[in-house]
Amino acid sequence: MGKLRKMFTNLRILILVIFLILGLFAVYPNPWNEGLAIRNVEKNSSASLAGIENPAPTSTPMSRERILAVNNNPVTDVNSFYSMLSVVPSNATVTLKTNKNIYRLVARPVINGTVQDFGLSVYPAPQTNIRKGLDLQGGTRVILQPEGEVTKEDLDLVMDNIKERLNVYGLSDIVVRAITDLAGKSYILVEIAGANQQEVRDLLSKQGKFEAKVGNTTVFKGGGDVTYVCRSADCSGLDPQAGCQQQEGGWYCSFRFSISLTPKAAQHQADATRLLTVVSSPSGNYLSEKLNLFLDDEEVDALNIGAELKGSPMTEIQISGSGSGVSHQEAIQNTLDSMKRLQTILITGSLPVKLNIVKMDSISPVLGEEFLKNAILVCLLSVLTVSIILFIRYRRFSVSIPIIITMLSEVFLTLALAALIGWNIDLASIAGIIVAIGTGVDDQIVIADETLYKKKLEGEEEGSWKDKLKSAFFIIFAAYFTLTAAMIPLLFAGAGLLKGFAITTILAVTIGVLITRPAYAAFIEILTKE
Amino acid sequence: MKMSRRERRLQSRTERLDKLRKEVHKAYVAKERHTPKEIQYKGLLKLMRDHYKPLMIIPLAMLVFSLVVILMTYSETGSLMYKGVSLQGGISLTIPMKEQVDVPALESFLRTRLPQSDLDIRILSEAGKQKGLLIDASNVKEDIFLGALRERMTLGDFSIETLGPSLGDAFFTQALWALAIAFALMSLVVFLYFRTLVPSAAVIIAAVCDMLFALAGVNLLGLRLSTAGLAAFLMLIGYSVDTDILLTARVMKSKEGSVFDRVVSALKTGFLMNIVALATTIVTLIFTQSPVIMQIMWVLLFGLIADIINTWIQNAGILRYYLEKKGVQ
Repeated sequence: MGKLRKMFTNLRILILVIFLILGLFAVYPNPWNEGLAIRNVEKNSSASLAGIENPAPTSTPMSRERILAVNNNPVTDVNSFYSMLSVVPSNATVTLKTNKNIYRLVARPVINGTVQDFGLSVYPAPQTNIRKGLDLQGGTRVILQPEGEVTKEDLDLVMDNIKERLNVYGLSDIVVRAITDLAGKSYILVEIAGANQQEVRDLLSKQGKFEAKVGNTTVFKGGGDVTYVCRSADCSGLDPQAGCQQQEGGWYCSFRFSISLTPKAAQHQADATRLLTVVSSPSGNYLSEKLNLFLDDEEVDALNIGAELKGSPMTEIQISGSGSGVSHQEAIQNTLDSMKRLQTILITGSLPVKLNIVKMDSISPVLGEEFLKNAILVCLLSVLTVSIILFIRYRRFSVSIPIIITMLSEVFLTLALAALIGWNIDLASIAGIIVAIGTGVDDQIVIADETLYKKKLEGEEEGSWKDKLKSAFFIIFAAYFTLTAAMIPLLFAGAGLLKGFAITTILAVTIGVLITRPAYAAFIEILTKE
Repeated sequence: MKMSRRERRLQSRTERLDKLRKEVHKAYVAKERHTPKEIQYKGLLKLMRDHYKPLMIIPLAMLVFSLVVILMTYSETGSLMYKGVSLQGGISLTIPMKEQVDVPALESFLRTRLPQSDLDIRILSEAGKQKGLLIDASNVKEDIFLGALRERMTLGDFSIETLGPSLGDAFFTQALWALAIAFALMSLVVFLYFRTLVPSAAVIIAAVCDMLFALAGVNLLGLRLSTAGLAAFLMLIGYSVDTDILLTARVMKSKEGSVFDRVVSALKTGFLMNIVALATTIVTLIFTQSPVIMQIMWVLLFGLIADIINTWIQNAGILRYYLEKKGVQ
């Protein structure tokens, strides 16, 4: 009884207990958290019109809105959720119950050959506030390098534009960050959580310089000159006239959508067409020059200009394009995807600099989950191995059990701190935690040996606990400072990809030397002192 | 009861004898205290005590061996190590796959289809059970690579990482810089802490030797190092200095016992640290399926093995030689 009371009145142990409780609040574990968490809500989609909001990228995982039921049928599985929604007929109403509200979504008219899309993407509800890194949850990571020298203002502008592009495209669970490496080069890191998004490649690598020319005269550009890009079903989608055709080796489809121009841009166009001649053809009378559309200096479309438009300002223009695929279905999907990309670029305008993709990773969510399960298994086995060896060495529960408690506390407090500061735990971070625990065990062995097992050398006086701890912590702090010093350069090297490893290691060993290892010393002092 | 005279005489004699015996014992104990009793060592420890100088050949031979292996790698590749995709650019593909794959057949197929490319295929496993396949390829376009692979297998779910060669080169140079800076900072901390040249240098030399041996080890295995693999060398610094600092602190700060007694006292603690670190590394190596963690563990495994020799024979040897020269017994 006396020992227990001593333990709970010891300052070092109390500090550990307080931190563990605070950690519990930061991690906020709930293994029974049910439903599907909302990741992205596409703009102007049925879901967004019904009032479902995009989660803020900085929101904690546990605070995210969760869908509990579709038309009163509980949902637990991502695939069954999507398949439930994909068969909803045009204009039908679907009731979505979330933990915050009940929404009524009106289904859109389904374009022939595609499935119903409510513009919602979801993932299984998280059970803690620990954020999983991209390699553990799946997703796409892109590193972009601006061409030539860029100012900080330009870089900020580019990042804002990229964020907006992705948001307009319907992706909101994203991280866009500028990184500078040891050589002073700037990069932009884009991480998109969740699904495998190879398609974002074009979205990110295109500068998005959109130009319409008549002959050699530029009549309007994307961004400022375009006031409205139609994305609703009545004025955008597969071209009803051209449709899809089967050609050698695959299918080709066409899309079209309309855009509105500023009066000034329309006037430019009128000026450019005034002097053109009218050419007659079987399908009608057109002007001698076409309206050529360029995206990043590549021609994407050439439109005939009707003879009646000669010299007159035109504020509405229909833009068309095409896509292909091996099957009919695939062709439709690719066509609609490239339409969506073009629309996005037209809305968000062009970037001030050209970007090159220098690294592109796409990680499968299935593999990510495998790795996570395996990482947990490995961590548990390591703790078990350490425990067995220590028990064989010390043969006393009062020495070896506190070591295990300390190890587990260190892991937990590191994860909690990461959750608190919004740091993602990825594979490199797990490696960092393993190192930290390893050095932690080293430190505890030093404490145990200095205080209990160090054989008195001839003539040496039995020192006080304070002296023994002092010599133990002399060694512990030396090891701490060298490890931290070794990790610091990693914060900056290699475009910050090893930052996770370095930060987690430093966090974990700092927690170790300041909180858990002093508590361990107090533990064994109380447990073993007669 | 009265005692006879003879009995009384006997008693006083035993009393006197007792007194004498006690005095002799006291003197013996006092003498004992002034001339330290030598602790008896057996086996390996005795060998270490009596022949520490010839034993230094072992770490020296390990260092020479490491340098030879690294130089061989250098003459073969023009680089100190086999660089993985993340240090030279290329594609890294991970496929979850439970059924057995004929790796040599796949490799020779891909080699004929993509002759320009430098390929590396590895099986990912958890406790010997196959879990997936990792294919690294450099010098090839993603769609061509995937196209060739699709001729051989159906690709369902997979992870793919591509890295441009320029960024790969940048990663490599910077990782080397990071290592160099980390090393300089680490050395500075050790010097500031112990404030004596030779003992601090011994700690740093041990760390260098550990790292060189680890590099030689992974080179012999033909492992292609990634950025994470290079970071593992920094982790190794952390583990390596732990035991060296323990040794130096016990030997330099303590005043009691012979120098070798202090080495042994540090060894009793430090060897347990070595064993625990080695055991966890081996367990992780067996059970992990992540190529990233696997590579880190290989580097640590070789480094930790080297660390046992470099701490307890090399670093301890240097310390003892240094103190002997200074006249400390």
